Amino acid sequence: MDPMAVAGDVLVAAVGIATPLALAATGEVLAERSGVVNLGIEGAMLFGALGGAIGATVAGSATGLGVGILAGVLVAALFAAVAIGAGADQIITGTAVTLASVGLTGTIYRQFYGPAGVGLSLPTLSPIPIPFLADLPLIGDALFAQPVTTYLMYILVPLVWYLLFRTRPGLAVRAVGEDPTAARAAGVSVRLTRAWAVLAGGALAGLAGATLVLAQVGTFTERMTAGRGFIAIAIVVLGRWNPVGAGLAALLFGLATALQFALQAAGLDVPYQFFLMLPYLLTLFALAGAVGRGQAPAALGKSEG
Amino acid sequence: MTGRRVRAWLLVGALLGGCTAREAPAPFRVALVTPGSIADAAWNSGAFTGLNWIHDSLGVPVSHVEARTPAEQEEALRTYAEQGYNLVFGHGFEFQGPAERVSTEYPGAVFIITSGERVQGNVAPLIFRLHEASYLAGMVAGGVTKSGMIGFVGGVELPPVREASEAWVAGARAVNPQVRSRTTYLNNWDDAALGREAARALIRVGADMLHHNADAAAIGVFQAARETQGVYVFGANADQAALAPAQVLGSAVIDLPRAFLLVAREVQGGTFVPRVESFGLASGVVQYVPNHALDSLVPAALAARVRAAEDSIRQQDGP
Repeated sequence: MDPMAVAGDVLVAAVGIATPLALAATGEVLAERSGVVNLGIEGAMLFGALGGAIGATVAGSATGLGVGILAGVLVAALFAAVAIGAGADQIITGTAVTLASVGLTGTIYRQFYGPAGVGLSLPTLSPIPIPFLADLPLIGDALFAQPVTTYLMYILVPLVWYLLFRTRPGLAVRAVGEDPTAARAAGVSVRLTRAWAVLAGGALAGLAGATLVLAQVGTFTERMTAGRGFIAIAIVVLGRWNPVGAGLAALLFGLATALQFALQAAGLDVPYQFFLMLPYLLTLFALAGAVGRGQAPAALGKSEG
Repeated sequence: MTGRRVRAWLLVGALLGGCTAREAPAPFRVALVTPGSIADAAWNSGAFTGLNWIHDSLGVPVSHVEARTPAEQEEALRTYAEQGYNLVFGHGFEFQGPAERVSTEYPGAVFIITSGERVQGNVAPLIFRLHEASYLAGMVAGGVTKSGMIGFVGGVELPPVREASEAWVAGARAVNPQVRSRTTYLNNWDDAALGREAARALIRVGADMLHHNADAAAIGVFQAARETQGVYVFGANADQAALAPAQVLGSAVIDLPRAFLLVAREVQGGTFVPRVESFGLASGVVQYVPNHALDSLVPAALAARVRAAEDSIRQQDGP
């Protein structure tokens, strides 16, 4: 087989795998920049996936994306009410939200589609090739012949970067994440700013979950996010709390995962366990190499600000 | 204090996730512990249907819970035994160890381990030789493949999964010795998106016949086949033709409800003796079920050869 074609195929898969991770990680960058660690994004993604499936069943893929986003926002609102509104411990609240989401999505799914199995098979969003760009060698298909959710990711990642680093609301978000006391003295509402950041992050996590269903699997399965929310949180660190950095880190993880399957499928005489750990090993090395000085927002994880 | 809060939430999560207690205590009660969601359209949903059959046919109270980690699995078995359940199904090879540890404390209960390893006191395995059906699926694949390459997606490399994968390849090679094969493991039973990526990677290297043993994650394998012209899939554990009616040539099926009911009857009647109960093609509990809508893709001579192989396996099995 043509090595260029093989590499191109791996890149197509890499961008597909990276899309939901980049979306969720960008959402988590927003939350963490405001000083909130939201471990509930795994749950928000899962609800986004279920919302995407239900919305698409009722009224098509576009509605599915909308319902998925809304579901993510609702889960984030629950987290925000407890962790920001009531000032509870963020780690415990996030864990609880994720655990409750795992149970609730399973229960709701079984109510909708019956307990014994897969009741639905949705048409998935097909790749939309962008004229000319999709014809580029090697990277054309990977970057420019993807489902609409990937293009949304291309827009949202720089948009969040711009919001965070070039606008006043973005400055407020970073201020409450670095020094809530000073921000409050400057007239910024710490709780309100954090709540908005967490809700926006929930919307992105919901979109990420809906992407899994509508652009990839074509159905909801219980626990289908399988830890992607937590991987996204690691990706935030790897991307140094910067949306663009997180997008690139997600791509790296997607590439390692795609490569892993390509190597297993190549039938090499190497134990498959080695390939399975490749994405995590690579992330670990990148993390060790990339994270130098403390880059985390100074007030990250501290509930009372 | 925080520890207690975490535990309280864990409990809430567990309750929402899988408990379906059905009736008040009665003399004979049956419980099922599955290692994953019962909405997987295969391994676990079959067991849950079996539990419902027991409830309906024997009129006894039943209960089910999901437990994914070894610690949870042991705890779930212990909890049911402690509550006085007479028959507890641990649904999968991974329950053998936990059941052996728990069983010594509860000699009055019977623990049945599906795909288990051995008899140990009141723990007995229910073995399904699904690989006999996977062998037949492999024969069909070996005869129908155009590329000469077949692929298998496994969830976790448990012995029954490896046996199915090996039998699938052996079946294909029995028909066409030149067939090449690739196997990919996910290390996961739930991640359908990864199942799809694994299948797509196999399709990219030329595999046009796919088989799996990956529970819910395999739903992504069917999706990958739906996306690609000329790729066909073989279901596992249940008749999965409905997941991709135009791509599923057949399924290696375990009639779990039938086996469950058989054992429950014996235990209820007091005639059960712990033993290795093994079901293959001869018993009818394990079957290869072709998708008749796609019969035209399977040449008559190949279909006859598969039937002949099935008969000879049945005869080797004995009645």
